[in-house]
Amino acid sequence: MLDAYNTSKEIGEAAPEIAIFAIGAIEQHSVHLPLGTDWLGIADLAQRVAAELDAFLATPLPFSMSQCHGPMAGTVWLKPKTLAAVLRDVAHSLFAQGFRKVLVLNGHGGNFVLEAEIRRINLSNPDLILLMPPIFARHPDDPVIWDKGPDVHAEEAETSHQLFINPHNVKSGRVDYLPPVGREFLDYAYMGFISEHGAWGHPSYGTAEKGEKFVAFRVKLIAEWARQTFARVEDLRQARGGEA
Amino acid sequence: MLLDYQNTSFEVKAARPEIAVLPIGATQQCGDHLPVGSMNIILDELSRRVAQKLSGTVYLLPTMPLGTSGLHMGKPGTVALEWSTLMDVVYDLVESLVAQRIHQVAVINGLGGVTETTVRPRENYIIKTTVRQLNYDFPQLDAIWVQPFTVAGQQLEQIIESARVDLHAGELATSLLLYLAPETVKGKGVDHVPAAAQEYWDYVPFDQLCPDGVCGRPGLASAEKGEQAMQLAVRETVTYIEESFAHLATMKRRLYY
Repeated sequence: MLDAYNTSKEIGEAAPEIAIFAIGAIEQHSVHLPLGTDWLGIADLAQRVAAELDAFLATPLPFSMSQCHGPMAGTVWLKPKTLAAVLRDVAHSLFAQGFRKVLVLNGHGGNFVLEAEIRRINLSNPDLILLMPPIFARHPDDPVIWDKGPDVHAEEAETSHQLFINPHNVKSGRVDYLPPVGREFLDYAYMGFISEHGAWGHPSYGTAEKGEKFVAFRVKLIAEWARQTFARVEDLRQARGGEA
Repeated sequence: MLLDYQNTSFEVKAARPEIAVLPIGATQQCGDHLPVGSMNIILDELSRRVAQKLSGTVYLLPTMPLGTSGLHMGKPGTVALEWSTLMDVVYDLVESLVAQRIHQVAVINGLGGVTETTVRPRENYIIKTTVRQLNYDFPQLDAIWVQPFTVAGQQLEQIIESARVDLHAGELATSLLLYLAPETVKGKGVDHVPAAAQEYWDYVPFDQLCPDGVCGRPGLASAEKGEQAMQLAVRETVTYIEESFAHLATMKRRLYY
């Protein structure tokens, strides 16, 4: 794995095949989790996936589309076109230095512009493969870790991950809450209006042990998915290129 | 008091910070001897110390790790934003601070150096423009920008011998990395001081005039110089921020309409 602690010369000489760009967020995470939960979580996963894939890990972006939490203290955001422009520029930089396979790891579920921009980039640059794994992908062989299951925000999975990697910054007083509406209500109202304490799910069920298992299977899942999908897309594009 | 990304939203709410500090770095080739994340490593530490020393309650944001490094485009490790993208990033972030009623924002922009004054950025040029626009668009906001090793000014030349010719991956940056993260420094780097460089950066890529990725004398670097330079820059940056906000507090009470 190579990252921003390496020199340009080291990165050039290693010539990794895959580059990873991770996207975090700085946003309210209820009473018990730090503002940087999404950033710290995805940076942790990205580092492990980069090691697994022997990839270049570009410095994760700490910020993304956190306006869904409104101006709840500490929350900062990028608007959709801003985030899309960042992704476009990052992909361009990586392409310019020779990468043809880029993996985007999205740490914040509210970044509903990434798929659109990824599609635009892939279809306009057939020499670059830009992939993003589905955020809640499950494998049939995945161990059953959860009591309540991954949910929308500051819930069992995020709490477990932070308890595993950042336990000193997980505070007490977790509040479980399921609002009486579907997730599309985040298209209509800030999280703080939907959930008074800012959580959507069951954080009280989070444990460090679950976090450790979650990290292990998620890294394996992402790495396998990436390998298979890069190969499959390469085949598809070559087949297309071979047509008269 | 200092709040940051390890705090919960509710802790920040209770603390009601008056000032936010937003560092803007870069991820870019930095000679053969320095990590591509050098500027971010320096700014992470510098901004934290500045935020700790500022009076009042301060909210420190993570360093924005991608800047306008187009000069180094194509070099391994360089991840650059277009100026319009960086402008939108900083604009959105500061707008979100205004929305939660933080009305004093200090953008720490890159490193700067002794060849600049406080008027013109050495790195991430568009930060100047963005801060200006933010102040126009949000009358209740006082946004400022500062280059730590520019406000360190003449005193820096007493620590960094080659400060006058130190533009990139030179004695200053190398000293700071030897101080902060010596395990990331690989070799001494190549000393290179061309007759002209900065004047051409709007016209040709960096490596045209600095083929080794260095513009300066990294061979003179030491960890001791890095420690002293850091202390000086922190002190002067805190002074600049506090004095500037104090000026603005009296100035912006005038009404012209």
